[in-house]
Amino acid sequence: MNDTMSSQNQEHATIGPMQARSSEALNEVRIAIRNLDFFYGANHALKAITLDLPDRQVTGMIGPSGCGKSTLLRVLNRMYDLYPGQRATGEVMMNGENIIAPGIDVNQLRSRIGMVFQTPTPFPMSIYDNIAFGVKLHERLSRSAMDERVEWSLTRAALWAEVKDRLNTPAAGLSGGQQQRLCIARTIAIQPEVILLDEPTSALDPISTLKIEELIDELKQDFTIAIITHNMQQAARCADQVAFFYLGEMVEVGDAAQMFTAPREKRTQEYITGRFG
Amino acid sequence: MAEHIVKSFEQELARLRTLITDMGGMVENQVVLASQAVIQKDSAAAARTVEADPKVDDMERDVEQFVIRLLALRQPMAQDLRLIVAVLKITGDLERIGDYATNVAKRSLVLDQFSLPFSLTGLAHMARLVQENLKTTIDAIGENDTDKAIQVWRSDAVIDEIYNALFRELITYMMEDPRYITPCAHLLFIAKNLERIGDHATNIAEKVYYAVKGEPLLDSRPKGDSSPYAMVRLPQE
Repeated sequence: MNDTMSSQNQEHATIGPMQARSSEALNEVRIAIRNLDFFYGANHALKAITLDLPDRQVTGMIGPSGCGKSTLLRVLNRMYDLYPGQRATGEVMMNGENIIAPGIDVNQLRSRIGMVFQTPTPFPMSIYDNIAFGVKLHERLSRSAMDERVEWSLTRAALWAEVKDRLNTPAAGLSGGQQQRLCIARTIAIQPEVILLDEPTSALDPISTLKIEELIDELKQDFTIAIITHNMQQAARCADQVAFFYLGEMVEVGDAAQMFTAPREKRTQEYITGRFG
Repeated sequence: MAEHIVKSFEQELARLRTLITDMGGMVENQVVLASQAVIQKDSAAAARTVEADPKVDDMERDVEQFVIRLLALRQPMAQDLRLIVAVLKITGDLERIGDYATNVAKRSLVLDQFSLPFSLTGLAHMARLVQENLKTTIDAIGENDTDKAIQVWRSDAVIDEIYNALFRELITYMMEDPRYITPCAHLLFIAKNLERIGDHATNIAEKVYYAVKGEPLLDSRPKGDSSPYAMVRLPQE
């Protein structure tokens, strides 16, 4: 009874007068980026970025190389901490705390915000261990619970059927597309809230690409997703909202359908129609 | 707006615009000839209108194929996508306008066989306004001109008013003398066809506006055709 009540309340909370106009209303905010600046030493790489990542929806990030979109993903899971001279100012609010503030437990943060890279990066170990490795860092599971977790993650990553008979063989023996799905399985195995995908299909063939896109569609039921892509059609297919970056600024953000049919900003129009010069 | 990095795409879009304005020109000419056929009893003009129709149909097929090719090969976005889709729809409007003009031309040949005791001034006025709107709307396509599109969109109401007046007038003539029923029935259809041409010109104007601006012309356009409700009674005895 209580569950029903609260879910009803949530619906009322999310369908405000603003969203009611759009058929693709955005969910409540999972990550709120406010006035974020980022510096590689003296290089001002992100300038006053303000962007919401809506819960259990896909935010596509597009823009020419060097525009700051990968930098933004690196900020979201504090990858930049590993390098001296790189710093971020502003706010990235998640569950009421600023995740770029100094006191944050970075390891714990990275278990809540997983990341998948452009080229598949399987560990030099078996398929099973690739999944179990990350889980062991955060949780102590019994053998059977771990088996379940491995099966669950591989199933969610649409890879289980293809690898269930060879879980103990090296992950390097998988195809590129399978390796990328393994990396996604590894990311979701630790049950994060947010998944960051940095050009996850740029090294894959068209069929593997479609499988990853289908997977993204499945995963957004449970996870909040941010994806960087250079493929405009991919952003149009996968994303609920799309943000366009240029020279460290976020030029425009909007509903994906609107961004690709009638963007508001001239720079966005020129970029997505291939006129950028 | 800057040019595309891929020059051949830029050339293809220019070609698409040329194709649709050429088709517009052909159809515009058909409407001029058809009006001439009726007003000036010019049967040669009628024949030329009818002869042009298969060429317009061919042109529609060419535009459709070109659009499908562009969609498949270029996967256009934003204003390119809007232009290409608008052209696809406009080509359908133009083809229909060509059909209406052809129908007017054919009816003019029947009309020629009657001598009418009334003038066709109203119809001539209507035909002139329809031609103007059609020309303006085709210019709007060629020049990406939303002001012209809005102008067409607004001025269709006048055409509708003349049509309503003509409708009543022609019914009155038919009631006065049954010998005029045949020519007047043809004139009713001719007037209706011209009115429909005006509507298609307005549709095109709306598509041009959307293609350029990215948002629809939302105000509700004054719909002037009240002939569905028109009633003309015999005088009470």
